[in-house]
Amino acid sequence: MELSVAARAALYNTPQAAMATPQLLPLELIDKCIGSRIWVKMKTEKEFVGKLLGFDDYVNMVLEDVSEFETRGMSKRIASRKQILLNGNNICMLVPGGRGPAVD
Amino acid sequence: MADTAAALTVEEPLDLVRLSLDERIYVKLRGDRELRGRLHAYDQHLNMVLGEVEETITMVDVNDEVQTQSLRSVNRTVPMLFVRGDGVILVSPPSRAA
Amino acid sequence: MSEPANKRTPTDFLNSILGQRVFVRLNSGIDYKGLLSCLDGYMNIALEQTEEYVDGELRNRYGDAFIRGNNVLYISAI
Repeated sequence: MELSVAARAALYNTPQAAMATPQLLPLELIDKCIGSRIWVKMKTEKEFVGKLLGFDDYVNMVLEDVSEFETRGMSKRIASRKQILLNGNNICMLVPGGRGPAVD
Repeated sequence: MADTAAALTVEEPLDLVRLSLDERIYVKLRGDRELRGRLHAYDQHLNMVLGEVEETITMVDVNDEVQTQSLRSVNRTVPMLFVRGDGVILVSPPSRAA
Repeated sequence: MSEPANKRTPTDFLNSILGQRVFVRLNSGIDYKGLLSCLDGYMNIALEQTEEYVDGELRNRYGDAFIRGNNVLYISAI
């Protein structure tokens, strides 16, 4: 069904939409995770779990008490580190409070 | 005097490369390639012009019959070449030990 | 947005590890250990007394090394 621009605008501007909870921007969600543990999944077969101490506009992240996992086939922990700066470039997904992958 | 000192210090990583101008450097590239050559020019992307270059390419030969792997490297020399910066992993200047 | 007092941004972290021995892991899995001389916003890194590890085995040593930031997975103090 083709809708005109005006008709679509009317659909989205219903009172219900306006009443909905204020939008939480993606990075505001991550900001709320500071001080808590977070699960970071990379674009590659790699994942990290650690306490989020801070991040910047590129979502480079400082993590503490970090476990690094290789997730090719069955997941396995390959390293533990006290504190790291993780390059945001290859991050795919962040899961607040994440417990990390199920480990073999 | 202050200028000379500033010219010799490493304040940002690219200063390491700047201090290697006209020196022979080692460059590690993606795809198991290595270069040794004289650094004539570079820019902020790490595009580089190298002279008197020795290129080493390392390849893994897999022998399916006996399930072994062996490393084989091929060397060649190039009088002058341009390196595109995005392939660069590491640059090491000659040792500047006193 | 409220800023927790314990917040530690990437810049804070980098300032705190300058001059220290660091561990750098690249996306390719190659690891470097060395003294962190300096780095920039691209995560380009200058290391001194650098050791290169492939599959955990020491493969090379470099007096100074410049690592192009796009290859860096993470940096950690050791």
